[in-house]
Amino acid sequence: MLQKTNHPLQKSLLDLLRCFVTLVIFAPFYIAIIYSVKSKPELVTNRLAWPKTIHWENFTTAIRVSNFGLALKNSAVTTVISVACITLVCSMAAYIIARKNNRLYNFLYYVFLGAMIIPFQSIMTPLYVMMKQMGLLNTLLGFVLIKISFQIAFTVLLVTGFVKTVPRDLEEAASIDGYNIYQVFARIVLPLMQPIILTSIVLNALNVWNDFQTSLTFLQKKEVRTVPLTQYFFFGENNIELGLAFALFMISMIPVLVLYFALQKYIISGITAGSVKG
Amino acid sequence: MLSHKTIRRFEEFTFVMPALILFLAFVVYPFFSGFPLSFYKWDGMSPQKTFVGLNNYLRFFQDRNVGNAVKNTLVFTILSMVCSNLIGLSLALLLHRSTRFNSVCRTVIFVPYCLSLVLSSYIWRYVYSDVFYGMFRIPSPLGSTEWVMLGLAVIAIWRDCSYCMVVYIAAIQGISPHFYEAAQIEGCPRVRQFFSITLPMIGPAITSNFTLLLAWGMKVFDYPMAATAGGPGRASETVAMLIYNNLFVYFKAGYGQAVAVIFTAMIFVCSTGLSRTLRKREVEL
Repeated sequence: MLQKTNHPLQKSLLDLLRCFVTLVIFAPFYIAIIYSVKSKPELVTNRLAWPKTIHWENFTTAIRVSNFGLALKNSAVTTVISVACITLVCSMAAYIIARKNNRLYNFLYYVFLGAMIIPFQSIMTPLYVMMKQMGLLNTLLGFVLIKISFQIAFTVLLVTGFVKTVPRDLEEAASIDGYNIYQVFARIVLPLMQPIILTSIVLNALNVWNDFQTSLTFLQKKEVRTVPLTQYFFFGENNIELGLAFALFMISMIPVLVLYFALQKYIISGITAGSVKG
Repeated sequence: MLSHKTIRRFEEFTFVMPALILFLAFVVYPFFSGFPLSFYKWDGMSPQKTFVGLNNYLRFFQDRNVGNAVKNTLVFTILSMVCSNLIGLSLALLLHRSTRFNSVCRTVIFVPYCLSLVLSSYIWRYVYSDVFYGMFRIPSPLGSTEWVMLGLAVIAIWRDCSYCMVVYIAAIQGISPHFYEAAQIEGCPRVRQFFSITLPMIGPAITSNFTLLLAWGMKVFDYPMAATAGGPGRASETVAMLIYNNLFVYFKAGYGQAVAVIFTAMIFVCSTGLSRTLRKREVEL
């Protein structure tokens, strides 16, 4: 929107307002940050004040007590594998769905669109039965398969939308040059898809890393707990040590924040692309 | 010999095959196999299932816990949908211009959206108990049967208003400046410009944000699970939680599945209804 009247006083007042709003939204993090470096007695006497001494050992103790190393490993393994599979499988499918406008692929497009509305609860119980029969309950493999499958509809739609905006000329030229369809995809299309692939990677990584509902249902043994589950059970225990619990929070936030600051542009473009389609 | 065309068709199909197989096996198949399950009385573990016909569905309409869960879910959905959008739009109006300072603000405001819902719930539990009560003596809404859904909705609004903001900023930036120039020449006041230019022009963004937040709201599970465990009593038990509890806590999996089937239908009706209504009000360009 165009705003031209900007009086210097008005501008600085607006900036002040912007600052204030941002601080208010960021304020809850203050709690997480200071609690994570406070000792137990200090958390009792004076919770909200700036910590007198910084207790870095909260981080090491928390990792030891909650078996957090294992949770980090489980989360990292499942996130990396799921995201890699989702991205590969969906970009292939999206390429054909965007390019071949015959009845079959149009139908598939609408099936995926319709599937976006399916809530996890409607397939939870049958899926639980199925996983049990297949022996995949409480295994990371089972969790990964479910996460991949559940993200397919969204990711295919996201990538299809992008492929439709890419001109076909290069692909046509390549197939005249004798490339087969697999070579065209791997050498021509995939490199052109790079921005949407990064978007898909970061959005799906956030989804899998932060997942709580699927993991709570399908990963019920201690050995396979992911990061959000570990936090959930750590907080559920009686007389928790707040300092340790928030130290875990800070650690689990680091990968997310790194991903966010590195690939912020792609998150934003993914969200806007998704919203335009509705 | 296979014809050239058939081979080509098959090659094309191999591209969608992996996605399709996974999708059919782990989404479509369980989705449809859920229907028969909803006609049985079944505890979720034992091999014994008793066919009860439509009883589970009839029970749905008499069950007071279902009524409670539906009410909680709707209160949460409406609060989070309306407030996230209002706040998101206000933030967008405040920060849509691409200055350095604005982009720093936007970056910071978007951080909550990247956190897990579990983490957000725990942070807010302590915001309520230590800041609201500790500093201002306002009792935590999470402990009150009347205010608990509002308390949970605030957490969702805190996270999701930044999502709305991002979509609205993109929409606002897409409006041609000519409209505003013309309005300014005509001496049209700022407020009027907002209602006559901005608001109609961002119609599609409004539709998509409201529809998406409606779906998120109706599926809400993580916040009540982590922040209140459905309490106090069952004051914050949502439909999604009720289905989960029927499988793992109350051992009524067959009934839970019937609730899930109706729940899916409810989401479908509400979101298509809302998106149709909003789309009708969008202005043709």
